[in-house]
Amino acid sequence: MITPEKNRQIQELVASLGREELIWMKGFLEGVLAGSSGEPALAKAPQSSTKITIAYGTESGNSKKVASAFANRAKQEGIQTKVVSLDQYRLTDLPKEEYFLTVISTQGEGEPPASAKKFYDHIHQNGFKLPRLKYGVLALGDTSYPMFCKAGEDVDNQLQYLGGERLVDIQRCDVDYETDAETWFTSVLQKLGGATTVSLPLGRPVKKTTGKKIYQGTILTNINLNDRGSSKQTHHIEIAAEGVQYQAGDSIGIIPHNSELLVQAIIERTGIDPQQSFVHRDETCTAYELLHKKLNIAYLPERIITKYAAHTEREIEPFRSGLLELLIKHPVKDAAQFESFIQQLEPITPRLYSIASSLEKFDGEVHLTVGRDKFSVADEVQYGLCSDLLCALKRGDTIDFYVHHNDQFRLPQSDRDVIMIGPGTGIAPFRAFLAERESTGASGRNWLFFGDQHFTTDFLYQTEIQQWLDDGVLNKIDLAFSRDQSDKIYVQDKMKKCGKEFYEWIKNGATLYVCGAKRMSEDVEKTITDIIRESGEDADTFLDNLKGSGRYLKDVY
Amino acid sequence: MSENNLSSVEKIKQASDSLRGSITSGLADEVTGAISESDKALVKFHGMYLQDDRDRREERAEKKLERLYSFMIRLRLPGGFLTADQYLATQDIAGEHTTGVIKITTRQTVQLHGLLKTHIKPTIKAFSEAKLNSIATCGDINRNVICSAHPNQSPIHRQIHEFSYKINELLLPKTKAYYEIWLDEEKLLDKKEEEDPLYQDRYLPRKFKIAIAIPPNNDVDVFGNDLALIAIVEKNELKGFNVAIGGGMSSTHGNPATYPRLATVIGFVSGEEKILKTIYEIATIQRDYGNRSDRSLARLKYTVDRLGVDWFKEEIERRTGFPLEKEKPFTFTDRKDYYGWFKNSEGHWYYTPFIENGRVVDSEAVAMKTALYEIAKTRKLNFRFTTNQNVILSDITEKDKPLINQLLDKYRVREYTESISALRRNAMACVALNTCPLAFAEAQRYLPSLLDKIEPLLDKYGLGKEEIVIRMTGCPNGCARSYIAEIGFIGTSLGKYNLQLGGDHQGMRLNKVYRESLDEAGILAELEPLFKLFAAERLKNESFGDFAKRKQIV
Repeated sequence: MITPEKNRQIQELVASLGREELIWMKGFLEGVLAGSSGEPALAKAPQSSTKITIAYGTESGNSKKVASAFANRAKQEGIQTKVVSLDQYRLTDLPKEEYFLTVISTQGEGEPPASAKKFYDHIHQNGFKLPRLKYGVLALGDTSYPMFCKAGEDVDNQLQYLGGERLVDIQRCDVDYETDAETWFTSVLQKLGGATTVSLPLGRPVKKTTGKKIYQGTILTNINLNDRGSSKQTHHIEIAAEGVQYQAGDSIGIIPHNSELLVQAIIERTGIDPQQSFVHRDETCTAYELLHKKLNIAYLPERIITKYAAHTEREIEPFRSGLLELLIKHPVKDAAQFESFIQQLEPITPRLYSIASSLEKFDGEVHLTVGRDKFSVADEVQYGLCSDLLCALKRGDTIDFYVHHNDQFRLPQSDRDVIMIGPGTGIAPFRAFLAERESTGASGRNWLFFGDQHFTTDFLYQTEIQQWLDDGVLNKIDLAFSRDQSDKIYVQDKMKKCGKEFYEWIKNGATLYVCGAKRMSEDVEKTITDIIRESGEDADTFLDNLKGSGRYLKDVY
Repeated sequence: MSENNLSSVEKIKQASDSLRGSITSGLADEVTGAISESDKALVKFHGMYLQDDRDRREERAEKKLERLYSFMIRLRLPGGFLTADQYLATQDIAGEHTTGVIKITTRQTVQLHGLLKTHIKPTIKAFSEAKLNSIATCGDINRNVICSAHPNQSPIHRQIHEFSYKINELLLPKTKAYYEIWLDEEKLLDKKEEEDPLYQDRYLPRKFKIAIAIPPNNDVDVFGNDLALIAIVEKNELKGFNVAIGGGMSSTHGNPATYPRLATVIGFVSGEEKILKTIYEIATIQRDYGNRSDRSLARLKYTVDRLGVDWFKEEIERRTGFPLEKEKPFTFTDRKDYYGWFKNSEGHWYYTPFIENGRVVDSEAVAMKTALYEIAKTRKLNFRFTTNQNVILSDITEKDKPLINQLLDKYRVREYTESISALRRNAMACVALNTCPLAFAEAQRYLPSLLDKIEPLLDKYGLGKEEIVIRMTGCPNGCARSYIAEIGFIGTSLGKYNLQLGGDHQGMRLNKVYRESLDEAGILAELEPLFKLFAAERLKNESFGDFAKRKQIV
């Protein structure tokens, strides 16, 4: 079937590829196969008896988009289809399901999106079986992250463990998920005996596109918004990037580089040739570039320490450590041992920052609100890698970034009211919203809740907010400065204080946004629940409805 | 005067509902540390100025933060008197709600800076608990009444000093706004209770300052006041007061219609009832005839000059119903604080330390703030602030003196005070930058270092012990009374000062401009030859100011 020569080439190619690359290749080949069949789509008889459920767990809205597209296609094929968000999905329905497809993304450290957490936790509890279930998992992810598609993999494995039968194998998708997703769904439809309309055009470039357009931005301004005497350091950074496209509510992703001093120290310690070339995710780069720009060496997860122990054939108790510290405590035998280990290191995780500007007001610019992350390790003050790097940027410096779209955090139509709750750096997307609404002359009312430690030093964007109030763009504001008085006051306390009006705004159709620290968002949600309950509603149902209708949106970290 | 000509402040006052304005809602506005323009004019009547840190404007604007607004609050302390407990409370309040620095003013009271809007109410409440208030310490109204401070000055000091309380009571506004807004007292149902026959709804056209001097020391600079009272004492008996009107320091650069003026003595009055009646009617005349369209011409001095001293005197007599007597002779020889220990006729002890520019701080030179606080904690004394921005630790019994002295020594207050040069002891500067909105140039932050450079010049010509009254203000409003100094500096722009010479030592004669807009090098270059000339050609006991006048230097 295949010539020895071609076989040898394939074997060679396969041997040179990493796991992720193989996964990609599999998808690619399927796509080529499906697309190159050249046969007209066969319309098969509708399978009216087949019912499928497509449940999605989404953070940025991509999974939802994919799920809806699938549903439309399935309906065209005459298949009864139900689309549901995982946080709205009745868990008790699961044992009754026959065909269950799930589209689920993966967050930062491999966890499922917040909206899928309940489902994820549920299937990880033992004590029930799903013998009837035929399922398929489409996992969305980003190969820039070490735990690529982990949440999807977990769901896939767990459903099998519970007795489910894989209808099709899991498909892991990178940020350019569209083709892989369609191919996968095609195979689902084939399994269901449905049609195979394939929209993948022939002659698609073979080379994998990254899917992420990388922009090079130039720093226009970088100022610390906190005044002298503040314990916070929050930078307002304006970046010029010609042709940049995004919407208010989006974020940008930045891959922070490691310090050259650190890289130098590692090179000296291991004796690795900095010019030695490696292939890293389709790219050839030197050891120096790898350590400087590609690999996470700042803080190693336990799994890497375990791998290192195995690699160097030692017993090492995992500890919180950077690569240099690990190499000092447990040195490599020689340069070669380090060279062979280097490929096991994980890529630097991109950091996401909510965009604080609107193109409507600042064309060709991205503004960020970056809190310099300060923490202490063994009583020593340390700064987060990326925020530290961003805060140190000077006018004229350049930085690479990509736009991370978030369709789950968008302004409603222009005549609708919004309530924005964004203490600290959570203000960022709301600065974007207000700029957008100002520029477009949106008639909906805007209510902002902001808080921080001190009024005089930490009122981020104070003069802009004052201007928006004067101009009538911002209709209402409530502020909570926690440390200006003996008892701490937070945004949720302010919400409670005007609970009646808060409820009236929601009743009147306002969309509710929360951005900022996760813990804050939990306290805020509790308060929202209380406010709704005190207004005589069934709080859980009310909140579920809000979520379901896309009127309670969160961007938390 | 037609309604249309009224200045904006006049309209604000009249529309203010007895000084209430929209202060309460302004306090509730969380978005800004400031208050509205019209409320800014009104809070002055409650003893506060809205200020901002002018050093920080540019940097904060870049940070998208509004100006660093805060309030200055000034206490009403007639005659500068405070108990030890009140002093402790004031320092505690300063620490909790403001910069922590007590600033003794040239009007014998204290002011605190850096008070944030959200801290005003707790501050005023805390003051109230200590039986202190800030009513009418700024604004177009009778200000803190000042009086010669040192009890040693006269056996009947107490009797004279009490007039500062009586006058204070007489001229307080009747509005309850202060109590309602800041102390949450119930709103008046019957507004008749606060009807104010003196101030009506328009108050005075401008600030109104009263001073009481006890010759021979003119420490209060009595002639720099709108209404000056000079105690006439014969055989340890208060006969009454000479009355002088129309003093005032402020002028405006480039406006020749404005000028500093010393008060004109118009007569003598005796008997408490008549004394108070006279004072009251001088205020009503100013209320009725003062200029309400141009605030730069609204002080009593312009009213007096416009209508004439004779007219004014007749109008007083018409309103009081009795004639003023002929003025009595008096002599001033000095206007200084008596540093160190003194004992009065009743056998009580008094100690006056030197406090540079009235700022009670712990510095490398001396831990004055700690010292005063620890001394106050003994509760064996009272505090009396002076118009030269010092404090007199007063009314100490013979028995308690060693204890106080020990504390003074512990914190080296005596050593420090004795080390201060004659020039510095007689120096004074206003607040100016960075908080005063009127300042063109530095004053209290700069004068000490300028003195460091002037002292060696004086020493060079053997003038180190010469008591020359030297004063600096950051603008021509003259809060530190630079117009009646022997050497006066009046800020014209950052780092530049007019050098004023020829004022006398006792405060009876204004100085004049000698050189305009000098920088530091220019000041020192101009002063040195003058000191040289003074050392060579002065008459016996001739003061520097008199010398400058005699030599027609100005």
